[in-house]
Order: sequence, then structure tokens, then C-alpha cells
Amino acid sequence: MEDKKNYSGPLMIALQYNDLFDLDSTSTSTNTDVLPKGRAFTFIKAVQAVNERLVEQNKTESLLFEVILIAKECSEEIKMKIVESVKHYGLEIGKFFFYKKEELINTLQSNKVKLFLSTERDDVYEALHTGIPAALLYDQADDHVLNRLKVIFSGDVIGFSEDSLDSLSDFGFSETQIQTFKAAKICMKEFAVLIGQMRGRFGKENSPLCTCVLTSWGSRNVCASALKTLREWGVDVDEAFCLAGAPCSPILAVVKPHILWDGGLHNMRDLSTQCQ
Amino acid sequence: MNKPLMKEMHTFGEQKENQSSPSKKPTPPKPQNAITIAVSSRALFNMDREQDIYEQQGMEDYLKYQIQHEIEPFAPGPAFPFIKAVEAVNTRLRELYPDSEELFDVVLMTSNHAHVGLRLINSINHYQLFIERFCMTGGNSLIGYLKAYHANLYLSADSLKVREAIEEGIAAATVFSPGKITEVQETQLRVAFDGDAVLFSDESERIYKAHGLAKFFEHEKAHENKPLDHGPLKGFLEALGKLQQKFYAKGQRLDCPIRTYLVTARSAASSGTRALKTLRSWGLEIDEALFLAGAPKGPMLEKIRPHIFFDDQMFHVEGAAELGTVAAHVPYGIAQKFQSKTARDVKKEMPAKQLE
Repeated sequence: MEDKKNYSGPLMIALQYNDLFDLDSTSTSTNTDVLPKGRAFTFIKAVQAVNERLVEQNKTESLLFEVILIAKECSEEIKMKIVESVKHYGLEIGKFFFYKKEELINTLQSNKVKLFLSTERDDVYEALHTGIPAALLYDQADDHVLNRLKVIFSGDVIGFSEDSLDSLSDFGFSETQIQTFKAAKICMKEFAVLIGQMRGRFGKENSPLCTCVLTSWGSRNVCASALKTLREWGVDVDEAFCLAGAPCSPILAVVKPHILWDGGLHNMRDLSTQCQ
Repeated sequence: MNKPLMKEMHTFGEQKENQSSPSKKPTPPKPQNAITIAVSSRALFNMDREQDIYEQQGMEDYLKYQIQHEIEPFAPGPAFPFIKAVEAVNTRLRELYPDSEELFDVVLMTSNHAHVGLRLINSINHYQLFIERFCMTGGNSLIGYLKAYHANLYLSADSLKVREAIEEGIAAATVFSPGKITEVQETQLRVAFDGDAVLFSDESERIYKAHGLAKFFEHEKAHENKPLDHGPLKGFLEALGKLQQKFYAKGQRLDCPIRTYLVTARSAASSGTRALKTLRSWGLEIDEALFLAGAPKGPMLEKIRPHIFFDDQMFHVEGAAELGTVAAHVPYGIAQKFQSKTARDVKKEMPAKQLE
């Protein structure tokens, strides 16, 4: 497929600073210059581990992760703390962008990010609707996770054809939500292809990067369709889960992904019956 | 997209059902309402050849082989007839209670890589099994997933995984292939259980092992009215009983598609009483209780033809398998320390990791 050749590294990921650092805890008010770790910490450590292994294998590797940090409406004091903290923790942050609230989409677009990762669902969906690849940074409750970077692709979003995504209204999803899934479907490919290439640099066992498919609603054949499509895109999938409507949270709690790419499918359900 | 994506209603093999419309196919029940049976890929299907390739040639060759043979469905494995019979029960339950979620739910639970996923899905399609849920963990532990699915029973061909599950309080058993093929009922699910260390705790077995048969009889007689503590598969028997009640409620006691058996070395005249009284105290019924007073279980099971037989002692498991019964080992209790090494055990102790 010709477009695969046009996809090349680095794989730029944009993170929001309030995911990387915890700004809510009281220690921000003390006079230390260093911000406490936030929800994205295990993610960034895992990303750095992948980069290390890639460079170990090939010093001139160009397909590496590059993380940029974006921050909206910060005081000068916070800006300083952010830069200091990044240095303090030895984080490999390529660039910093401080922007005004309305400029989020512009900032992402002008930097050609391959993935905008955030715990803010609304920001993620807004980005998807403007064609920016975006996924949820899954909130890791436990930060003693293995160093493996885990990426989940939604089997529903990939496996259902665009027309059949409409059938998800049978499960109670709204028109807007379905549009978000369709947007996610379009944006997902480049990132998936790059992740597939990266994954291919490592063997089946002992890889610092792990690819998963999670099919929440579709049948096993929807999942099979997703696996086949991903294979066509050059992504060899390590783990696959098919839930057929069973609650996602218990399974996600065991899988412990960093990146959950499903346009919000796993959580936008009738809360009274399914989600916990 | 350059290529049109495969429509979800088409599959690689024959597909008779229209799967794109969710309302036509019954939806699987919510895990907390259902009786969830987790089955491994090697228990459900015969993957002996592939397992050999994995052990002798390693992971890469194993996966390559699986992908090359992707459109070839696997042959049925030891748990296959059991799963088919379970689905037959579901069909009857849906007829009687169309809105109920108290059904069996079969989940494929495997540590295989998703690379094998397509072949497994093809195989499930080939046999038209109703398995919509699966976990392929790519080598990671299954325990968390078993708990997330509230698994009522886990069947696997890998004794290490089964032991891990039992230690975590999950009802589990290692399934063995029978030595010869036996025809089993398609319309009635038959499940046979050993008593001590399976339905009941191993407390009495401990006495037998420590003090001998005479002491055992004495003890059982003296404590006849004291219920035994429960064993790892009591919950599963209870779940079966709950479903049986649903048939009885609709006047189908004689025609019930579930039948349970107790096949125990206890004897009817003495130690058997405590077993029956224990079951009664738990409010559980068992359809047939067979007290063998120490006689081999194989011939009796050959007559009964259960879809599966659970025992804590490999001696009985092998005896049953030899005569054509699908037997499953429950690695629980004091008997595990006293197993004599059989050929099967020696093979199992070989360092090969099992992908299943």
C-alpha cells in the first residue's frame, strides 16, 4: 500500500502538562520548584524505555517517539516550574508550547502531532472532530506497572465498516458519539502504521511495546475484521479482547493500557446498566 | 481507505447467520448474571501438533505455522463436547425464559498471542459455537481476567495455570483427552464429580491419609451430622442446580437437560451418609450418587457417559480417561502431595512453557 511509505518518524505525541504533573496536590503551593508526578508519568517512562531499546538496536533509528508538552494559560511561575520539573525528573521532552485556551487545535495542527494524548475526554473528542489523531491517556491507578508501553486499538472502530458504525445506535450511542467514532476511524491509520513499524523492530517476546485490540460491542467477526485490517496496515497485534457488551472497566483494569484509542467507545454508555 | 473493509457479516468460512444486526443474534448475558465457563484454546480444540512445534522449534515458528494454517479449523479438543452440551442447555433455557440472563456464558481464555486469534475465530465459526467473548493475553497471566469475568469454572490443558487459579479461589480443572472416543449425549449435559477435595474439602481425606481407612470410617460415622466444609467445585454444582431449578419450575424435571452425578470412593453403607447429609445441608441436590467403596471409577463412568468428570486424584482421572471419559484434574488438597508419578505427570513437569 503506497501510503505506508509516506508515514515516517518521529512519532510525535503531544501531552498536556496537567497530565504529566499533578497540579492539584497541595505541594504546588510550597516553595519547591518541582511539581509532583501526574497521571502521564508511567506513560512517559514507558515511552522512553521504547526509545532506549530502539536506539540500542540501531543508533541511527529515525522512528522514535518524540514527546512535546503543551500547556494552556500558565502563569510565568508555573511555566518555570514545568521546565524545572522536566529537567529534575530527566524527562525527554522535545518541545514546550504555551498557548491560550482557544488555540489548542491550532497548536496541535501546526506541530503535526501524530497523536494527541490526554485524560481530558472533551479535548480528545474535539481534536478527533477536527481530524487530529487523538486518544485517551488511560488513567493508571497503579504506577508499579511493567515498563511496557501498551496501546489499545478499538476493534469496533476498526472492525465495523463506516456504515455499520451507525448500527451502534442500537446500543444507545448518540449521533454525536457515532460521529466521534467515525472521526477516530479516519485518524487512526497513520498512528497505527507507525506503531506497527515500531513494534516490528522487536521480537514476539520481551518487547517494550505491546499492541492490543479491544472489541467492546462487536461480535467476534468484527474483532477478526479488525485484526485483519491491522495486519494489512503492518500491525501485528499481541493481545486481543472481545467483550460482546461485558463491562470494560474490569478488563481494562487488568490490561492496564497507556493509550486507549477508541473514540470514547468504552465509556460512553448507559451508565446505569454497564459501566462501573 | 484503499481497500473496502471486510463487512462484519462475512467471515472466512461459511457463515449462515447475519451478524451485522445485533437484534437477530442473542446477546451474551452480563457476566455477573451468567454462569461463566472459561475455556482455554487447547481444552476446546486439539492443538497437539502446534504445541509440539512450539516446544521443539520455539515461538516464531509456532506463530508462523498458525498463521499459515489460519483457514484450517482445529479439530475438537477434550472440552468440546462439554461446551456443545452447555450450548444446548442455553438453547433450552432461552426457549423457556427468553428474557433471562441466567445462562451459561462461554469465554475463550487463552495466553496465546492474538496472532493465533484469526485461526481460533475461524474454528469457532466453523463449528458455529456461541463464543463471543475471549481474552488472548499474549503470554500474560489469566488470573485477573478470570476474576474480571467472574468465572465460575476454568478449564485448561495446562496444569500450572489451573493450579494458579485454584490457589486464587477459582474453580478450575485440567482437562485430559480420553483414551478412546465415546459417544456422549447431545441433548443432556452430564457432569460427574468426585466428592472429597472436589465438592467437599479434603478434611476427611487427610484423616484417611494420616490414619488409614478404619480411622476414616470411624471419624465419618462420628461426624455424620456435621456437614463437611466445601471444596473448590461446590460453587459450580450450585450453579448447575440453580439452572436445573429453572427447568423444574416449568415442569421439566424428567426431561431436564442437566444431570449431575456424585462418583465417590466412599461407601453407601457408612461414609457415604455424611456426604449426602452435607449436600442436603447446603440445599443442593445431586441426581445420582454412586458409592464405589473404593472400586475403580472408570467402568462406572463409562456407563454414565458424562461430558466431564472432576476428580482430585490423577489415579482416578487417568482411570476414567482410559475408558473414554473426559476427565479433569482438580489440583486441590492433600492428595496432591501423594500423587504417584505417572507417565503423564513426568511429561507435564518438562520445562516447556505452555501457550494455551
